[in-house]
Amino acid sequence: MKTLLFFLALIPLGFAYVKLESAIDPIKMLYTFTGVGGICLLLLSLLPSTCRRLCGLNLLRYRKTIGLLSFIYLLLHVSVFVALDSEFDIANIVQNSLKKPFIYVGFIAFSIVFFMALTSATKKLFARFATYHKAVYLALALALLHSFWAQKVAGVFEHSVILVGIFLLGERVWAWRKRSL
Amino acid sequence: MKKLNPKDITPESLFEARRHFIKLGAGALVSSTAVSQLLAKMPEKTLTYKPDANPLKLTLNTEEQAINYVNFYEFSTDKEKPVKLSKDMKTSPWSVGFFGEIAKEQMIDVEDIIAKFPLEERIYRFRCVEGWSMVVPWIGFPLYKLLDYLQPNANAKYVKFTTRHDPSIFPDQNRGIFSAIKYPYVEGLRMDEARHPLTFIAVGMYGKRLLPQNGAPIRLVVPWKYGFKSIKSLDLIECVTQEPLNTWQAENPKEYGFYANVNPEVDHPRWTQAKERVLGKLGKQATLPFNGYAKEVAHLYKDIDLRKFF
Repeated sequence: MKTLLFFLALIPLGFAYVKLESAIDPIKMLYTFTGVGGICLLLLSLLPSTCRRLCGLNLLRYRKTIGLLSFIYLLLHVSVFVALDSEFDIANIVQNSLKKPFIYVGFIAFSIVFFMALTSATKKLFARFATYHKAVYLALALALLHSFWAQKVAGVFEHSVILVGIFLLGERVWAWRKRSL
Repeated sequence: MKKLNPKDITPESLFEARRHFIKLGAGALVSSTAVSQLLAKMPEKTLTYKPDANPLKLTLNTEEQAINYVNFYEFSTDKEKPVKLSKDMKTSPWSVGFFGEIAKEQMIDVEDIIAKFPLEERIYRFRCVEGWSMVVPWIGFPLYKLLDYLQPNANAKYVKFTTRHDPSIFPDQNRGIFSAIKYPYVEGLRMDEARHPLTFIAVGMYGKRLLPQNGAPIRLVVPWKYGFKSIKSLDLIECVTQEPLNTWQAENPKEYGFYANVNPEVDHPRWTQAKERVLGKLGKQATLPFNGYAKEVAHLYKDIDLRKFF
């Protein structure tokens, strides 16, 4: 089942690869495919625990796979930025790009997901760092802000994922307050 | 391998004409209404114009790219959706209003405008503020010829341009507070910018009339400024005293100014403007000051700070 999930999630990447040849603005297309995929998977990775609380359905065993898939998409997204968009001009990235909120907000979000992927590698690491995985909420908020800023003006997709994000985070706050009362 | 002789290649116009002829034949078998519908869609007669010798040896983007990748928010913020959404846009008859500080306010139909001014081709670089660029062969006439005809008076310091506001054509103008930006779309030029010989009114590209998604039937092209200055589907051209508040400056004054000159030194707050993605290519190229037209236009701005007046 997890393998199936894995291949399902990678289908859009294969599609992007096929379309690359004929793409009018290839870098932009790769940004969109990897960015949209990464955000959707990040949102999906928060769904299992919501599902368990709201309808008793336990999908927690898929959470790590979905999270890792999101990491793969975001890693590719960052690679597009470093390799294709900036052409490996690391000095310029550090001096100029990282000063821009749009870029560093995205970069912090990616760093958090990167840290989570690393500390999911073994059971031992996970046991030690699991508490810090709450930082995914910050990563999601920053990633949504980054996507909101990615267009000249935010469109339907950007607004929709923000609404979904607010729902997922809001439900958690609500559940947490109920528990602490 | 046998070499292809250029004279053996079917010209695009003949090729297209043949396709239409075949479609007509097929249509005739179906019904006469089908024929009349197809006739209505026959490409308009080719434009007569003086070709551009392309002294800068610019490499043209394909027509395919230029007609399928557009920013036309009145249809959609998507780059490709306007192609489908604009298919039924009626661009004829279409009158443009000329008002403000000119000798005689009037409305003129686009066909009459075309008849008034000899058409020429201009192969221009086009650089979008979003970081992509292309090279397009426009067909039209320099704006100064139109201004000479309109005779602006001494109070005319700026030219204001407005895209048509017609929700029956443009779906996003129907969405009220949910629209992507505020309409109608407005742009402006200082009078000396408007009178510059590079500033161009286009009615066609790639040898044919403009398609709706590219701003039919008549649009502005200012090659040394970011693409959003090159306003589409013109409804009004006014000579005014005050600097017009252009749409993108009104939307976000921190990010977009009145001048919008292409400038690799002045970044957009969210992304760099040093390089650009040429449509159809995976690599990038350096963006040139004033989009490569510095020799012609830099003198217009010698007295202003381009970082402040971006």
